[in-house]
Amino acid sequence: MSVPVPTKPHEETFIEEMKRYLHFGENDAILLKRLLPRMEKYLPEMAERFYAQIPHHPGASRVFTGGEAQVLRLKSTLQAWGQGLFNGVYDEHYAEDRFQIGFRHVRITLDQKYVISAMGVVRSFLLEKLFDEFPARDERLAYSQALSKVLDLDLNLMCDSYFRATMAHLQTLNQELEQASLQLAEANAIKDDFLAQVSHDLRTPLNSILSFTKLVLDGLCISPEEEKEVLRDVFSSGQLLLRLVNDLLDISSIEAGKLALQIEELDPRVVLDSTLPLVAVQAASRNLRLVDETLEQQLPLVRGDEIRFRQVLLNLLSNAVKFTPSGGITIRAITDYSQGFLRIEIEDTGIGIPAEKRDTAFEKFVRHDRAELRGITGSGLGLAIAKRLVEMMHGNIGLEAGANGNGSLAWFTVPLAPPSHLSETHRA
Amino acid sequence: MNHTASKGRKQRIIIIEDNNLVAKFFQMALERAGGYSCLVSEDVPAILREVGAGEVDLVLLDVSLTNAEWDGHRVNGVELCRILKEKSPRRLPVLLATAHAMSGDRERLLESSGADGYLEKPIYDSAQLIAQVRKLMA
Repeated sequence: MSVPVPTKPHEETFIEEMKRYLHFGENDAILLKRLLPRMEKYLPEMAERFYAQIPHHPGASRVFTGGEAQVLRLKSTLQAWGQGLFNGVYDEHYAEDRFQIGFRHVRITLDQKYVISAMGVVRSFLLEKLFDEFPARDERLAYSQALSKVLDLDLNLMCDSYFRATMAHLQTLNQELEQASLQLAEANAIKDDFLAQVSHDLRTPLNSILSFTKLVLDGLCISPEEEKEVLRDVFSSGQLLLRLVNDLLDISSIEAGKLALQIEELDPRVVLDSTLPLVAVQAASRNLRLVDETLEQQLPLVRGDEIRFRQVLLNLLSNAVKFTPSGGITIRAITDYSQGFLRIEIEDTGIGIPAEKRDTAFEKFVRHDRAELRGITGSGLGLAIAKRLVEMMHGNIGLEAGANGNGSLAWFTVPLAPPSHLSETHRA
Repeated sequence: MNHTASKGRKQRIIIIEDNNLVAKFFQMALERAGGYSCLVSEDVPAILREVGAGEVDLVLLDVSLTNAEWDGHRVNGVELCRILKEKSPRRLPVLLATAHAMSGDRERLLESSGADGYLEKPIYDSAQLIAQVRKLMA
């Protein structure tokens, strides 16, 4: 025993479905087409009545921002819509026109209830005019039925278009939300790694401070000399901790966009002269040669933040000293007038850095592989900070192999001061 | 004191730790407060020679190592622990030290390494360190 399946037209479109539901037939189309010449003259007034409602709409000021010109344009659009009502063609194209209205409205966040109430105004106005046009009862009935049906059809089309547009809008919002939540999760993972790394790095020197202090307190050192040696370890761990905290504060204020640079015209000679003596002490204690080739050069004025320029220079120089067991460090300056920058180079005869590690060296907490081997410790933030500072001063930074592939060559650039000033200095 | 072997020699501990300050603390604490004899090293073949000769009583082993190599590969503490256990002619207690103080890490590391105990860094009290070492050597 088979149950008859109710047949529904195959892939019936929404407008077909609505027409069937409203018993909107060919006859109604003919009647409406016949109405057009009689009703056309009322369309401008219909538009007036429709937009007279606008001031009462709570969102009007937000939606109708184009002033009188926009309202005029909308009125003529509405008249065209009215023409369509009586055109006698109610096909897919007709439905598409009505759907577009809903999409536009959703885009400008015009409420559906406003359209429904406006359609009510239109309906009572048009029916009132129809009754004026057709005093005979039978005629009036047939026409008003056809008009009511087409207005119902439009209302349904528009409500459906609102629904579809809202769904599409929600889908877009959902995708945006999903994307944002993915980005958030990614940022969170990076933050977590950072935090784990930071807490490990803070704990290591802190741990040494505590353990060596306890050794001394417990009286476990065998001589005053050994006690001194242990205290030196405590002191250097404290220094490392301080450097790490300073670097962390720097990098977090850079990343939060809170580090304000004071970019001004400055003489690189002054920065070099005040920085090199600091490194010279470190270099001398390790028997390293420190050669300043810039001494014989006339250096042009540059634009940068003096404190940060010095910090970058000091970072790169300290790194060079750290990773050079023997030999020396050379400081060089190259002025590129055509590109408008000064390039500072720091070349060492140290252990070098493999080509594949040169780019990642500027990332946070990427340390030199062989650093631990030599008992070299640092915050792992020095190069990351230097890169960000150089970029904030509109320069570039990089690492290369040193001469003959030995050691490494660190360089950075700073923009030259405007040429007008340059020539003034030369004249002076 | 029971930490000195009956034949009179000091009990020997090998410290495998890549941070020189941490290693220095372990060594001083174990030697001065515990009376042990210590060797700090990351040289795996040399360590295995001592272990193979049965001259090592305990290994204090860091999980993350920088320079330990075996068979041409870099090895971490977990892998090195298994090698040590395999090459030792007698029971060799291994105390695994790590700073990864996260829940679940302990069981996972003990199981995968076959170590006998777990030392959670930071440890900065010599008495605490020696208590752990004694427990494993008993």
